[in-house]
Amino acid sequence: MRFISHACALRKRGQTVMAAAEKPTKGKLLAALDDIEVLSRELIEMLALSRTQKLPQPGEDTEQILELLVQRDKEFQELMQTAVEQGKVHQEMQALEKEVEKRDSDIQQLQKQLKEAEHILATAVYQAKEKLKYIEKARKGSISSEELIKYAHRISASNAVCAPLNWVPGDPRRPYPTDLEMRSGILGNMSNMSTNGVNGHLPGDALAAGRLPDILTPQYPWQSADVSMGILPPHHGSDFGLEPPGHNKENEDDVEAMSTDSSSSSSDSD
Amino acid sequence: IISGAIYQEQARHRFQLELEFVQCLANPNYLNFLAQRGYLREKPFVNYLKYLLYWKEPEYAKFLKYPHCLHMLELLQYEHFRKELVNAQCTKFIDEQQILHWQHYSRKRTRLQQALVEQQQQHQPQAPSHGNTTSK
Repeated sequence: MRFISHACALRKRGQTVMAAAEKPTKGKLLAALDDIEVLSRELIEMLALSRTQKLPQPGEDTEQILELLVQRDKEFQELMQTAVEQGKVHQEMQALEKEVEKRDSDIQQLQKQLKEAEHILATAVYQAKEKLKYIEKARKGSISSEELIKYAHRISASNAVCAPLNWVPGDPRRPYPTDLEMRSGILGNMSNMSTNGVNGHLPGDALAAGRLPDILTPQYPWQSADVSMGILPPHHGSDFGLEPPGHNKENEDDVEAMSTDSSSSSSDSD
Repeated sequence: IISGAIYQEQARHRFQLELEFVQCLANPNYLNFLAQRGYLREKPFVNYLKYLLYWKEPEYAKFLKYPHCLHMLELLQYEHFRKELVNAQCTKFIDEQQILHWQHYSRKRTRLQQALVEQQQQHQPQAPSHGNTTSK
């Protein structure tokens, strides 16, 4: 009897110590069962004892035990109810969790699809932008076919990029402006040439070439632009600080050196 | 302060000068001349060559009669090329290659014409025999 009350007191103390953590129902149930077990054992022992000894025990003990027993049984029943309810709640929780999982997977699926769609659209937009860029580039560089043909004629008819069909070594014609042409241009005439030797050389050159008319009256003069079109060179300050050669005193050296070059090129026959 | 009209006139004149000069660059002998006089070593001249690159733009390029000059102009941007031009052998080589390239299309055309003539000659021997059979 004292053992039981002692055990009950200990458990109560244990419960107060664990007040912070809620004791699981299972534990409570097992504890209640233990109590009932102990109580009923006590009761049966006492009854057994009273039968063998034929001594009338004080009725209080049996009453106490019976009371405790009934109490514990009631507790047990209550706990069982709680357990059943908890079971139901647990089941609901599980069902809800399943739902949540399903929704999660749905969302992930949608996420994947969205990502794919975004990727496809991004590619499409990028390619469209590239196309537009190229269209713009082509439009910027577009030239009328007439202009192209005009220019093609300009550079070919005068044999500037394609040699004349009857060209042989010794022919003074070249894919670049020759000394003659250079001298007869604006640059060549920049300074008044007082060097008679040069002037005397000039007809000699022309005679040697034997093509005076062709060279001096080209179809498309290489030096005079269509000034009426109003195109101007890009602006520059006097950054370079040096006028292009062919001016002033340089011109005479230029001309003399050219004459040696021209004679060497015209004597370029095999 | 220069008035607008005078500036325009000067600019037009400068345009023609630069048009002439840039085309002169197509002449390897002239390049050799410039190199030997030391112009290609001077920084202002090199800056000028860089400035002349505007002739590559289509609105300016259409005035060029000798387009070889643009290639020379591009090469002239490199110091190594400018240094090499002092060498007369170098410019002679350039001149030869340039002329050979210049003859390329004419040679191709003559080859095609020759091929055409040969083809026609192959067909001709058959014609008389055909005529004989029809006369019969």
